[in-house]
Amino acid sequence: MCVLLGFAALSAALAFAAEGPSLAAGKLELKSAGVLAFGPPGILFVGDTAAASLIAIDTGDRAAKKSNGAFELKAVNEKIAAVLGTSADQIQIADVVVNPVSQNVYLSVSRGKGASAVALILKTDASGKITELGLDNVKHARVSLPDAPAAEAKDRRGGSLRMETITDIGYVDGRVFVAGLSNEEFASSLRSVPYPFKAADKGAGIEIFHGAHGRFETNAPVRTFVPYKVANTPHLLAAYTCTPLVSIPLSELKPGNKVKGKTIAELGNRNRPLDMIVYSKGGQDFILMANSSRGVMKLPTANLDKYEAIVAQTEKQGVPYETIEALKGVQQLDRYGANAALLLQVEGGSVDLRTVALP
Amino acid sequence: MRVLATITLLVLPAVAADVIVRRDGPVFRVAGLGTTEPAGGWSAVFQVHVGPQDLPPVMGTYVTEGSEVVFKPRFPVSDTVDCRVVAGGTTIVFPGKASSTEPSAHVRRVFPTAWKIPANQLKFYAEFSAPMEKGQAWERIRLKNSVGETVDLAFLEIEQELWDREGKRLTLLFDPGRIKRGVLPREQTGAALRAGETYTLIIDQEYRDAEGVPMKQGYFKVFQVEPEDRAFIDPAKWEVRIPRAGTRDSLAIAFGESIDGPLAQRLISVEGVAGAVELGAFEALWRFVPEKPWEAKEYKILVDTALEDLAGNRVGRPFDVDVFERITVRTDRRVVTLPFRVPRK
Repeated sequence: MCVLLGFAALSAALAFAAEGPSLAAGKLELKSAGVLAFGPPGILFVGDTAAASLIAIDTGDRAAKKSNGAFELKAVNEKIAAVLGTSADQIQIADVVVNPVSQNVYLSVSRGKGASAVALILKTDASGKITELGLDNVKHARVSLPDAPAAEAKDRRGGSLRMETITDIGYVDGRVFVAGLSNEEFASSLRSVPYPFKAADKGAGIEIFHGAHGRFETNAPVRTFVPYKVANTPHLLAAYTCTPLVSIPLSELKPGNKVKGKTIAELGNRNRPLDMIVYSKGGQDFILMANSSRGVMKLPTANLDKYEAIVAQTEKQGVPYETIEALKGVQQLDRYGANAALLLQVEGGSVDLRTVALP
Repeated sequence: MRVLATITLLVLPAVAADVIVRRDGPVFRVAGLGTTEPAGGWSAVFQVHVGPQDLPPVMGTYVTEGSEVVFKPRFPVSDTVDCRVVAGGTTIVFPGKASSTEPSAHVRRVFPTAWKIPANQLKFYAEFSAPMEKGQAWERIRLKNSVGETVDLAFLEIEQELWDREGKRLTLLFDPGRIKRGVLPREQTGAALRAGETYTLIIDQEYRDAEGVPMKQGYFKVFQVEPEDRAFIDPAKWEVRIPRAGTRDSLAIAFGESIDGPLAQRLISVEGVAGAVELGAFEALWRFVPEKPWEAKEYKILVDTALEDLAGNRVGRPFDVDVFERITVRTDRRVVTLPFRVPRK
């Protein structure tokens, strides 16, 4: 779930050129609905891990709306369960994103938890009404991720248990970046898929090496990432599951390229990054990062290029951060207009969607 | 579910005023509401609810059939939840039936099957007998040390969880930050596994299968930890037992160490020969039984270099290399070929 800040204008300009040709109307079957990201206006990208593919859906949701501030939907899991005619324990919310144009909120949800689970995309807004994004006849396009084995293709030894879980996606400037992690060999990938999708060009893997960290980080999964300009140059800021925050110049993220990322912060043990956004306040840019143990962390982004690459350390280094103590249990995070963030928060057994003012 | 609906229909034909509510398979039928849709739509006079009062109604579509208004839920209402139909000022409850499924799921095995593993063990694979419910791994799986203390954050807790397509095999990655030397998590809390210690992997009996039913029994795997393994896999050191021509005897490879089981099954093959792979001796032994008898000729064993041992060391490349320049080898898949000749009888 990545919202652009530095590139917003550029993406918007490209968006209209990007719409259309690759999106054909028809029935869309989701095998799973995982991570979500908005791209060009109204275009929602969905990571379908079970089908080893990336899907672009034209939601048609392009009516601009200014943020009307607060929005709260308490016990959203119970409400979704009620609407889908089942109990809350049968509902899983994989991701939540805000359409930056309309401020409508989209959720990837599975009804049921086993192999027979049904994947769907739900939509809600400040009124709290939950509706389904109809997929029976929707403009969409699908691209298979390369090297992903076909779902049905068992090899002759019956061993097609390999899957690659998509851990995050983000759209920047005509490309969708897809981070994934295999359930067999210890290999993570970051792929660049051009949008509109072209059948012949499925996007290729990019290898990212980090200073002195060798294969450990090269293959560690990128948990969440966000595009951002460092010293006016587009970068991806990627948070790895094992704590470092790494900046990667976008210009080097080309298929087949071997890229050296720069570790700009080590955020300390027990910190498992879950989601990130970038925003501006008082003329300064900040990263807001939800993580499993510390609540939400706020990092200033000024002078990111000035930090020395971290190559070895035994304590927190690099970009300083503060912890927003008031925000606990935040699982998902997205921008909601210019001044607010939307949170999916799990507190005391209740799963709530709510907006908060950007800190 | 059809049977249930029929029974419900017999037991609860609800008549209130002139409104008659029926549950007919997945749909709900109401007679007595007229055939003219109210200004606010049929949902203004006819809704189906599950759960507490304040929750929104079940999503679905309305049609009229003869004198009945028919509500078709987007998904059939789960038969284990109570369901309330509110129509024309009347509320009728169709009680859910209790889940009566007997527990049957269990853990079939965990790779590695060895009871001695290196301190830098990279992953476990837990194979269940049935598809399991997702989203509970980090509550239901624990690692305890020899004095019964839970090892904090031993595994990389990715909320998506790394399952196979069927939902029967879960991959547990040890937190790589606690394996790699010289990085923060390891410096702060040390490695998850310490050489010389004994640990127990516990998968709770409460682990629910895809039907929401707990397992028949919990699972324990006790293992002892040996010093770290930081040596790459060297196929030149493998012992290959060559079968005789005219037989379907197995071709066997003794690796000299345990190898990642699922990868050994997928990434080692005999070029152009169909057959079945079995693993033995705690995955230190790979056996291949051909479908047709061996011929007296040269064959090739193909080993994908993505093959890993228990500590993630690959063919020709250890897991953990500290110098950037040393790892600039592309991670493109390569194949190592081991030729062998089946002799004449």
